[in-house]
Amino acid sequence: MGAVLSVAELPGGLVELTAHLPHLAAHARAGEFAQLRCGPGPVPLLRRPFSVAWIDGEHCSFVFERVGAGTRLLAAMRPGDMLGSLGPLGVGFTLTPSQRRIVCIAGGLGCAPFPLLARQARALGATDVTILHGAATAARLYPTDRFVRGDSDGITVIESTDDASRGHHGLVVDLITETLRHPTDAVFACGPNPMLAATAARLSTVRAPSIAEASLEAPMGCGFGTCLGCALPVHRDGGTAWALCCREGPVMPMHTVDWDGLRALPPAHVA
Amino acid sequence: MSDVDLRVDLGRGCVLPNPVGVASGTFGYGFEFEQLVDIQRLGAIYTKGTTPLPRDGNPPPRVAETAGGMLNSIGLQNPGVDHVARVYATSFAQWSVPVIVNVAAATVEEYVHCARVLDEASGIAALELNISCPNIAHGMDFGLDAPSAARLVQAVRAATQRCLVVKLSPNVTDIGAVARAVEDAGADAISAVNTYVGMKVHLGLRRPVLPSRGTGGLSGPAIKPLALAAVARVRAAVRVPVIGVGGIATTTDALEFFVAGADAIQVGTANFADPEVSLRILDGLQDYAQSAGLARLTDLRWQPAPLPA
Repeated sequence: MGAVLSVAELPGGLVELTAHLPHLAAHARAGEFAQLRCGPGPVPLLRRPFSVAWIDGEHCSFVFERVGAGTRLLAAMRPGDMLGSLGPLGVGFTLTPSQRRIVCIAGGLGCAPFPLLARQARALGATDVTILHGAATAARLYPTDRFVRGDSDGITVIESTDDASRGHHGLVVDLITETLRHPTDAVFACGPNPMLAATAARLSTVRAPSIAEASLEAPMGCGFGTCLGCALPVHRDGGTAWALCCREGPVMPMHTVDWDGLRALPPAHVA
Repeated sequence: MSDVDLRVDLGRGCVLPNPVGVASGTFGYGFEFEQLVDIQRLGAIYTKGTTPLPRDGNPPPRVAETAGGMLNSIGLQNPGVDHVARVYATSFAQWSVPVIVNVAAATVEEYVHCARVLDEASGIAALELNISCPNIAHGMDFGLDAPSAARLVQAVRAATQRCLVVKLSPNVTDIGAVARAVEDAGADAISAVNTYVGMKVHLGLRRPVLPSRGTGGLSGPAIKPLALAAVARVRAAVRVPVIGVGGIATTTDALEFFVAGADAIQVGTANFADPEVSLRILDGLQDYAQSAGLARLTDLRWQPAPLPA
């Protein structure tokens, strides 16, 4: 539980909430998430999972859109309101000191874990963090200055929009092949599950680095492995099995995800 | 120092240190919560529904939030009774919190098999027979009519000396009749209630949000008034201890269940939103009983006046 410091309106309806959460700030690694209490309840009853987007001292930031009752309440919070947070939870991206070049692929709100990832990767010794960021239209792109946070050294953002309003005209996945012509040590992706599936398919056509991970999403009840609600299909022991997004993910090696199985599922109702 | 006697005697030597348990399916086997809260202070852990063989569970989506509640269709994902008896129970035996293993199966023989396997293990305080799972084929078969429920309880009763709790389905016409039947068949205590069958619709897709059956089990504060009514009906029908469960998220909620006739309670869905809620309710019950001068929480029980002829 910590006090809200600010709720910033970003272009395109994105919201960035920052709160004083010392425990989360001290322990969260890029790709891990926190379960946030959006209100006193009972509507919404459950917490909502958010990647930790940024850490500054004892402060943590989260980026989201108003998609339902929970995110609307969060966006309406004011400085001084108390925010309940449980975390860090889940498995984050694999960052190692040997990684020099890292390519991140962010579809829409999939931008959320990458400001923190870029900073943590740079601190570990990465010299080139290239972020491919796509959105439907320019207004919905996460601002570049928020990816780099005042220190753009070694961080490059390449944008794409579906409607050609900025950057590459087309899908962010289209940028992968060209970007991976340079030797790359790790690829990290975050975005809607169909975009991640397309990313995995594209990576299979190029010489992808051995570390290729995706941050997936699934409707969650608890966020810490108890309700068993957030099952995702994975390859295991020569067959397929369910893995819990909250405990075995949200970040998983791309080759372990059963992308065909994921595609075949009915769309999750996340609002 | 507390003068309040919080212990709950479920029978056959199973005495819970306090009445605040955590409901099956909302607490796993305790291990996930061990990292988050002091689980040893709980009155009991009712485990995830445990079946004769391991189960992978249902395809997602498995959960859907509703107004003040949630629907789940997990499909009893669990590692199977052998794993629970051989591996998990060795941890249970080290714990001070009583662990009550929730057992679910499709036939009388399977229930009996599970009871026998669990009889071999130490660290298990009691069994809770789940005759009320709405999310698997035949999950509710035994819970929907009194004779079937009685036949099952009789068979398991004959197979084990362990304390036997039976968790009833609310999806019946007369829960009191089912309660009386399982009491007569040898149940030591009754948990009331499991989830209510419910549906959430995805209007854009013109289909239910949850796949396969389209339905799931509704839990959370939304069902509390329904669960209170069910507990009162069960209380009126039986003499054995009644464990109230359904939508408890605060101390006040828990106290209401004691008024309705419960001897103990289970906190369920609220654990997902707040892992500390059960212990807070325990502290709250103790404070309330002390300030109200109660010797025991069951002193809160409502005694309904006889209905006019």
